[in-house]
Amino acid sequence: MSKFNDRVFGLVMLVIAVAYYYGATQFPVPFGGSEAVGPETFPKLLAVILAICSLYMIVKPDPDNHWPASRTFVELGIAVVTLIVYALLLEPLGFIVSTTLAVGTLCWRMGARPIKAYLTGLISGVVVFVLFTYGLELPLPLGLLEMN
Amino acid sequence: METLHYLSLGFGVALQPENLLFALMGCFIGTLIGALPGLGPANGVAILIPLAFTLGLKPETALIMLTAVYAGAMYGGRISSILLNIPGDEPAMMTCLDGYPMARQGKAAEALAISAIASFMGSLIATIGLILLAPLLARFALTFGPAEYFALFVLAFATLGGITGKNPMKTLMAAAIGLIIATVGIDLSTGTQRYTFGVLELYEGVDFIIAIVGLFAVSELLFFIEEKAGAGREMIKVNPLKLKWRDITSIFPTTLRGGVLGFIAGVLPGAGASLGSFISYTLEKKILGKKGYFGEGDPRGVAAPESGNNGASSGALVPMLTLGVPGSGTTAVLLAMLVSLNITPGPLMFTQNADLVWGVIAALLVGNFMLLLLNIPLVGVFVKILSVPPMYLLPIVTMVAVVGIYSISHSTFDLYFMIAFGVAGYILRKLEIPLVPVILGLLLGPEMEKNLRHAMQISDGDWSILWSSGLSIGLWLVAIIGLLLPVVVGPILRRRMQAAKEKVG
Repeated sequence: MSKFNDRVFGLVMLVIAVAYYYGATQFPVPFGGSEAVGPETFPKLLAVILAICSLYMIVKPDPDNHWPASRTFVELGIAVVTLIVYALLLEPLGFIVSTTLAVGTLCWRMGARPIKAYLTGLISGVVVFVLFTYGLELPLPLGLLEMN
Repeated sequence: METLHYLSLGFGVALQPENLLFALMGCFIGTLIGALPGLGPANGVAILIPLAFTLGLKPETALIMLTAVYAGAMYGGRISSILLNIPGDEPAMMTCLDGYPMARQGKAAEALAISAIASFMGSLIATIGLILLAPLLARFALTFGPAEYFALFVLAFATLGGITGKNPMKTLMAAAIGLIIATVGIDLSTGTQRYTFGVLELYEGVDFIIAIVGLFAVSELLFFIEEKAGAGREMIKVNPLKLKWRDITSIFPTTLRGGVLGFIAGVLPGAGASLGSFISYTLEKKILGKKGYFGEGDPRGVAAPESGNNGASSGALVPMLTLGVPGSGTTAVLLAMLVSLNITPGPLMFTQNADLVWGVIAALLVGNFMLLLLNIPLVGVFVKILSVPPMYLLPIVTMVAVVGIYSISHSTFDLYFMIAFGVAGYILRKLEIPLVPVILGLLLGPEMEKNLRHAMQISDGDWSILWSSGLSIGLWLVAIIGLLLPVVVGPILRRRMQAAKEKVG
């Protein structure tokens, strides 16, 4: 079994630890002069701990968990993109429309039949919208469905 | 006597109609959350926090609801263990051992009923333990100075991986990551901007609720997609219940032992509910030995772990309420709720927010009765919902999480942040870096730094103040033991749990 993951992650974290430490040295001296424990002390301490852990991971990595096959990887990518697009369109399209699309797409990609999937999206969107807007009096954006 | 007085005060809070209603709602939702495989209690409570916020609930009502969810989740975990042979959460694993065989013998309803009663007993015993122990511990904790608190926080991190944790270095790394994220924002005591990179949204720091929901809920969705578990599994049908009074009395001693053991495991740092259910199951097997038929559907094999893990979950509230240091993922999330309600957790809470603390404790008792009543007749409803395949359920859960976060601030920036945390959570879980220390780091970071500063101001910059009192030395020692013990004992314990599981499965 390869031990690649831990090594790479350890390396990334080590770089972050160094950058984080450097960042802490760049803080302006607070008003009233420096104290025994200033704003930079705690971050410096943390950077050292993180660096030690990273080095440990590089030197003594655990065996890898296998990463998903490339097709599953694409599916994961689709899910993440769906969520990002959902956030992006939430206000312009309104809650119900964007939820239908987002939940529908997720259900569909997880194995549901498209019609059932988008129907689930629509129903859940309407139910949550009604619940929030009328039940809890927390208006969600209507977007496209807004009547002027 | 004083305790009784406070307890009656607590009942006064818990029995208000509004609080009762939310407790009932919490119990119901909690059972559901616990029952759904993959949607653990920490995850469920995390999703509900933003909702509790936006509802504008009073602090005690919000906390009562979430505590009810927490208690309910422990009840719910058993349903999927028994019917699907998949534990709803980790502590429910031991319930599979005898619960699933019972269900296969056509005694699913009995197994569910027995486990509900055992859960009830476990929680009841542990809640009584909590009532007795918590005020004492809180009074003791009042003697803690900043140095002791700093050591206590270190202890919390060191023991969080738990005895069954795999790699303590990874726990430590997770804690460091959480603490590092917590330093982002304007430094509270000097006003210095730290790691904000001029981004306005970062000035107030990273909102831990967003982080929690992202880490748990979104990463869970990704895991389900990866495992292609969307279709769900076949479930055993529930038969009509035929429970005799004698069946209940026969498990009574078992639940008593399980509850006490579970409570102790819950209070101790680093032990937690998984160990609670494991110990009570093993002990029960030892005591009854040949008289039982463990692993083949012995009702006591269902009762022992269930009373154990419910006992432990109530026990875990002790360090959370008295010291402000949670011992498990879910109590960490409950702590997040407290912090965001502007309540400083810790010993002072027992004097300053007495009605809240005791209200929650009383609600735990009330909720327990509700759960028992809810769980025996309504088990069919839960089973129905459980049979909804995850491919419909998980997207909806994710959507509810999104709505919750969005409704706090009406900012899409927060949503991107949540998604980013979800992806990060997925990667961390792949690398077997635990998520709970990250969250605890985020939560406790500011407190920890504040205590370090106070200690240093007292000593005028002399670091040795951190280990100058007997108490703080003791805390440091426990922390070191907590970090080293898993390396020695962990593999043995894990092997045993696995072996027990394989023998049956």
